[in-house]
Amino acid sequence: MLKGVKLASILAVASLALAACGSSGTTAESAAPTEPAAAAVKVGMAYDQDGKGDGSFNDAAFAGLSKAQADLGVEIKEVNSGASATDATREELLTLLADGGYNPVIAVGFAYSTALAAVATKYPDTTFAIVDSVVDAPNVGSLIFAAEQGSYLTGVIAASASKSGTIGFIGGMEIDLIKAFEAGYIEGAQSVNPDIKIESKYMGAAGDNTAWNVPEKAKTATDGMIANGADVIYAAAGGSGLGMFQSVKAAADGGATVWAIGVDSDQYTVPALAEYKDIIVTSMLKRVDVAVYDVIKAVVDGAPLVGINNFDLSKDGVGYSTSNSAVSAFTAAADAAAEKIKSGEVVVGTTVK
Amino acid sequence: MTYLKSRRFIGAAFTAITILSITRTITGNGDLTSTVTIAQALVFASPIALAGLAGIWAERAGVINIGLEGMMILGTFGAGWAGWQWGVWAGVLAGVAFGAIGGLLLAVAAVTFGVDQIIAGTAINLLALGLTKFLAILLFTDAPGGGQAQSPPIKGDIPTFTLESIVEPLTALHEKGIFFVSDLAGLVAGLFYHLSLLTIITFLLFVMTSYLLWKTAFGLRLRSAGENPWAADSLGVKVVQYKYAAVVFSGMLAGLGGAYLSIASTIYRNGNTAGRGFIGLATMIFGDWRPGGTAAGAIMFGYIDTLRLIDTGNQNVKGLILLGAIILFAIGGIMLRKAKRNSAIGFLVLGSVMIGAYFSATSFPPEVAQVAPYITTLLVLATASQNLRPPAADGVPYRKGDHH
Repeated sequence: MLKGVKLASILAVASLALAACGSSGTTAESAAPTEPAAAAVKVGMAYDQDGKGDGSFNDAAFAGLSKAQADLGVEIKEVNSGASATDATREELLTLLADGGYNPVIAVGFAYSTALAAVATKYPDTTFAIVDSVVDAPNVGSLIFAAEQGSYLTGVIAASASKSGTIGFIGGMEIDLIKAFEAGYIEGAQSVNPDIKIESKYMGAAGDNTAWNVPEKAKTATDGMIANGADVIYAAAGGSGLGMFQSVKAAADGGATVWAIGVDSDQYTVPALAEYKDIIVTSMLKRVDVAVYDVIKAVVDGAPLVGINNFDLSKDGVGYSTSNSAVSAFTAAADAAAEKIKSGEVVVGTTVK
Repeated sequence: MTYLKSRRFIGAAFTAITILSITRTITGNGDLTSTVTIAQALVFASPIALAGLAGIWAERAGVINIGLEGMMILGTFGAGWAGWQWGVWAGVLAGVAFGAIGGLLLAVAAVTFGVDQIIAGTAINLLALGLTKFLAILLFTDAPGGGQAQSPPIKGDIPTFTLESIVEPLTALHEKGIFFVSDLAGLVAGLFYHLSLLTIITFLLFVMTSYLLWKTAFGLRLRSAGENPWAADSLGVKVVQYKYAAVVFSGMLAGLGGAYLSIASTIYRNGNTAGRGFIGLATMIFGDWRPGGTAAGAIMFGYIDTLRLIDTGNQNVKGLILLGAIILFAIGGIMLRKAKRNSAIGFLVLGSVMIGAYFSATSFPPEVAQVAPYITTLLVLATASQNLRPPAADGVPYRKGDHH
């Protein structure tokens, strides 16, 4: 029996160790500045969930970090919180970075809000930044994006491209952050065609972390929308978005004229989605890369960006991509809408009416 | 015996279609029994059904398999890893093999070393989660089309079959909206529409399990290892070997379920199982540790998931509420006939509340549909727990020579 207990404990310990390897997969990448400055800025970056490789949000943050590494010669360290992260584990990660002298420390994702608020007070001399959330502390820069404005433009494009008068929206987790995408999209579409029919579907309720990882469900939901006549679908659903592309591609292969709209990064150019690029008419760009780069640059320049920084259309913080030439027929309408938003003539709401 | 059984099955199927048909007629929502809904429900049900079947194999041999989720995760990973490089069938085999490794691990811990089965299973869940994430970073980060959290696309497709000669006329019949007939037509057409070879294999595995475990000497011995291993041992049954075989096969089935999921998503993605291993375990309990009931439970989960996802304007959720109410009334009626007054009143009151909700509210949050299968499982467990009978020695560590 004793043997059994021993084995059980070994198994348990081994599994925890492996789980730790997997979740916080720390990849310290030494910087490669041409002349290692004595006081090189060390940037700590904490991704949420599985981090890079989503072809979307986290990759955009990484792009900003890489640019800073190349242009400014900063030293970088990246950590992931892992899917089963709690506020306590996120706090540990941020403490680890701040303790290691990383400054700024950038937390990617709203999930870090609570943890960051706690850690920021303990390290008043470190500059922190958080993407997609507002943390009220003197040394924290809150990087928020006017996703509703960018989504308004994709809504304009969707309504202009739609021949059926029905368009669709696939959301990840049903939270205010994603609802703002939906709200802007609907408003934009209605500005073109007041009678347009918009079908929305979320992959999971608030708190259901699986919502971002279920492409097969997003595919089914999109199939349903297309069956009901939708011919342009916009997904803001993280890793689940792939299913939307698959469904639209299948419908296009079947001879239907249908378009997909990507999100966060320019998904037309994402290698992992190369198979689907032809049906991606545009992507709503959320320039997390711009924001991350700006934060790092500000610290390098000695004037940290703290407080609320709203990256909206006027700051090029959001927008839409034009890498697929198919979008050219609709850019005039989208650009006109963008001008109206910038001038304040149109104010886009963040809640679905 | 078989005559009685098939009569009961036909009766149950008849009742189910009638209830669906009543709901469809009242709501006027053709989606409830449409060809596409049924076909998609089978796709969502299959991985859950395979996990449930995996549970049956392990638990019938007396080993509680909480590690189903972990074995499924290993299966999704195996399918993504091999499927990306050598094609979809290599993916299926690798998914099964990876699941088998998970099963073997549980067998070594639980059977050979007599470790508490819940702890061993939980360890496998944690191990699989961590290991696959670690390996995904290692193997997929630099692969073209892959990333830290997902594999490149799996190459090739599993063949699917559509029997046009059956589907087309039946779908047309479904659209006519005739009571019962059209619904039956939609259900049958759904079975032959985009039917994946893997779904057929899943079905055959259920048939094979029913036969092997309940109609052969092998099955009797295997089940005896789960009912009373000491008695089985005294009659010369090699209990440990049977337990090993059952648990490893359980892992293979869970791995196949994982592979099915990865192939449906065309990639491996961290967290894609989304708790389906545990749902499989729930369907097994729902199904009283038997293949038929387990399949029914899995189809219920798949059906509700599908309706929620292909829903437009929340009509399907409304339909489900009514469906639930009618089912509750039906069960209440049966309880009344069996003179179980208290249970009957409970069901009838609950049914009335749902009917009231159906007619008073214009729309329902989609979350209602999401939690519906769990509530149903809880209801079944709460009301039928007297009749559910797990294997007698389920979860009891067995040591040869021990007396009990």
